[in-house]
Amino acid sequence: MLTTTHTTTTDDRGAQTGVVAYLFTAAAVVLLMMLFGLLMRLEQAQLIEMGPQPFYKLMTLHGAGMVGIAGIAGAAVMWHFLRQYVALSTGILMTNLALFLAGVVMILTSVLLGDFHGAWTFLFPLPGQSMGMWSTQAAALFMAGLLVIGVGFLLLHLDIARAILARHGSLARALGWPQLFGRDDGKAPPPTIVASTMVTIVNLIGLVVGASILTMMLVNLYVPGLQIDALLAKGMIYFFGHVFINATIYMAVIAVYEILPRYTQRPWKSNRVFLASWSASTLMVMFIFPHHLLMDFAFPKWMLIMGHVIGYLNTVPILLVTGYGALMLVYRSGIRWDMSSRLLYVSLFGWAAGAMPAFIDGTISVNYVMHNTLWVPGHFHTYLLLGMLAMVFGFMYYLGKPDRDAPDGLLDRIAFWCYTGGTLGFALSFLYGGKESVARRYAVHLPEWVPYDKAGAAFALLLISGALWFMLRFFARLGQTRHDHARTPEPASCPAVTA
Amino acid sequence: MSITIGPLHGRARRAARIEQLHAPGLAPASLIYLLLATPWARQWLEATMSAHMLVQIPLLAGCGFLAASALGEARQARLLAALGGPVPCLLAALLASSYWMLPRALDAALVDPLTELAKFLTLPALVGAPLALAWRPLGAIGRGFVWNNLASMLAVLGWLYLAAPVRICNSYSVFDQTHAGWSMVWLALGLFGAWLGSLFVRPLSGPNRSQTRVSTQEGQAWTT
Amino acid sequence: MPCGDRMSTTHAGAGLLRSLAVSALVALVGSGVLWWGTDGARAFTAEAARRVEILRAPRVLPAVTLEDQGGARFALDAYRGRLLAVEFIYTHCDSVCLSLGMAFRQIRDQLPAQVGGQELALVSISFDPARDTPARMREYAARFGADGSVWRIARVPDPAELDALLEAFGVIVIDDQRGGYEHNAALHLVGRDGRLSEIRDLDEIAAFTERIGDLL
Repeated sequence: MLTTTHTTTTDDRGAQTGVVAYLFTAAAVVLLMMLFGLLMRLEQAQLIEMGPQPFYKLMTLHGAGMVGIAGIAGAAVMWHFLRQYVALSTGILMTNLALFLAGVVMILTSVLLGDFHGAWTFLFPLPGQSMGMWSTQAAALFMAGLLVIGVGFLLLHLDIARAILARHGSLARALGWPQLFGRDDGKAPPPTIVASTMVTIVNLIGLVVGASILTMMLVNLYVPGLQIDALLAKGMIYFFGHVFINATIYMAVIAVYEILPRYTQRPWKSNRVFLASWSASTLMVMFIFPHHLLMDFAFPKWMLIMGHVIGYLNTVPILLVTGYGALMLVYRSGIRWDMSSRLLYVSLFGWAAGAMPAFIDGTISVNYVMHNTLWVPGHFHTYLLLGMLAMVFGFMYYLGKPDRDAPDGLLDRIAFWCYTGGTLGFALSFLYGGKESVARRYAVHLPEWVPYDKAGAAFALLLISGALWFMLRFFARLGQTRHDHARTPEPASCPAVTA
Repeated sequence: MSITIGPLHGRARRAARIEQLHAPGLAPASLIYLLLATPWARQWLEATMSAHMLVQIPLLAGCGFLAASALGEARQARLLAALGGPVPCLLAALLASSYWMLPRALDAALVDPLTELAKFLTLPALVGAPLALAWRPLGAIGRGFVWNNLASMLAVLGWLYLAAPVRICNSYSVFDQTHAGWSMVWLALGLFGAWLGSLFVRPLSGPNRSQTRVSTQEGQAWTT
Repeated sequence: MPCGDRMSTTHAGAGLLRSLAVSALVALVGSGVLWWGTDGARAFTAEAARRVEILRAPRVLPAVTLEDQGGARFALDAYRGRLLAVEFIYTHCDSVCLSLGMAFRQIRDQLPAQVGGQELALVSISFDPARDTPARMREYAARFGADGSVWRIARVPDPAELDALLEAFGVIVIDDQRGGYEHNAALHLVGRDGRLSEIRDLDEIAAFTERIGDLL
């Protein structure tokens, strides 16, 4: 019954098509959302005039859309590489995409036709108390859309868990605990398995919590008498949202673990330090969400202190292990720098750079004055654009390359600098804007901050043009590479060598 | 969904044979059922909302589950095929159990003997038995999905009982209602934790298959 | 795959069709039962159910003898021909019964002055006859201003009659383990024909008074 090699090419083609469909969806949505983001920056820069309601509608769509496609793009990276180790179901992959698209239609209807603009965080009790700005049905449709998307991801993670268990027996083994806590026999699972396991564990928990609070809020929308404790609701929403968005970078980083070793011809080892940091983050990533609640004095003090401490601690392990690992891998390897390896390398810098503002903002005394400013979007735009999305673009260049030695064009190189330079400028304009607006308390946008918004809009334009080129290049090359996936199946990191 | 039923059968049949050896079978199910039906047990378990909802009702469904499991692999498969597979069974269990989660159904069961009789008949027949038939063929993903939804819905139901501004059962006190609500929340957390925890400890079954990079084998890793 | 290849595509198609058909049937019957069991998604609790039920079919009440705060005995049936507002209380109660008493006082006060005891009466019925003696009821009446003619406080001395009355009204009284009771509290309206015709929530005093005004 056991098949020793995978020879079923129709299966491979289906899987490849699935991954490309994910990337296509992600690219289309990301581009649209980037344009929405640009419009918002132009509004803040007072270069266009749209008024608050369209602004918050765009902000709601931008948030929901970006978080959603970060999940979709991360899942594409993870699924593509994980499939080389375990037997995943293409049917489930496509079911998730179909449910995602259904959810997107519901959310778009809710925002564009129903005027819902309570932000993607649907913070209780805002969706139910619109003061006539949107209907109960619009709020319900938005939350039901998120619920449908959540169901899709639940199925995807259940399939991943099933496949990992079939291969490795238990999640503990898949995290490499026998090697971590016992004798390191060098047979620890490869990084892709470890990362996928971690993501699956935290997302399963996050999704169940998210589904629960969404259902509670849906009930509350129609029966307001059934009150929800606002702090409980906020805690649950932030837990779900924070875990989900954090998980996207842990999925995307698999591209680094898989692709850099192919470039350097050195395996990425799952040594004890690596295993320890991933296991530690599995736990910690679920407890850092209170670092967004440090301004909320109503929250129990222990929760805030926990957010502060774990927020500090979790900045370090995976980032350090991955960054150090990548340096060691590249050092004197004679690596050929092309778009893929460059983007992946930059992504590690972007991740680290993006984590720093969070580290600073995670300090309670700083948070009191910083958290209500553009400093926070500065933080997550850095690590999502220059970290997470750069990993995805690196992966797209890797997939799209017709053969090993195909040279990059001049435009590719220009796009690379547009993207990295644009993102840096864009993020810094957020961070400076945030720093200048301390201590901001009300929903006002003072004229003194407008220059930063103008710079931000210009840099946004630059980074969007870079991203647009990356995407065009990938889809233009697709025809050439569809039949050529035989190039990829050998994961160099698989036979882990003992440390 | 592309969960293949094919490769399951060989293993499932083997599992069923083992199960028949150790099967709790019909006798214990009937015994528990009869015990539950005695006036003493009824009075005791229906005295509080928590025991009524979280002990008596699950036990009644459990009797149906045990009884259907004792049918044996072949008869179970035939019955399931006649019923149209796992999806209708799951739907029946969902709808029937939803009915008995209605506060007024709990009240009615206490004051109306016919409703009480209906409870004793439908919980094993329409909740427990269909679940038993559907459980294995649902596949690992289906079972995980059911388990996750159960935890989520139970937590939400617990919140409903806690958040209700009025006493929702005329036969039970507000204190009882609060107790039942918290019990459901803790039970939901416990069920989810137990499920997730079980994925951590399940040992490798059989010889190490790690020589194969990709096995097209259907993962049968979690079963309960 | 020992079993998989046996299954032809037509077989699988038929199986899917059957699955869909049975699922649809189960969904239809199941949601039908839930719809019926909640009176069309209106009544999820027994309390809501009894209110819906009474509106649909006003209920005949059993013949019971009451004893009021003055010690006078009278039949519930004596109110026939008048509108009667009924609430169930026990005088040791320190929670919901206080609200009930206040509600009755408001209802009485909101009635037009010319409406006398001939058109409408109010009666607060105690389900704790052992402790609620006439003297005790007089105290309660004085506290809320029940005059003993338009608004009377009364108990049902006969336990069997009390049970029958509570059952007809759908009132369930349970021991709260602290020397008191928990009971479903509501405002009941008995029509001129002596049937229980409407039940309103405690916070719907305005609607209840309005309904009485319509009927007067």
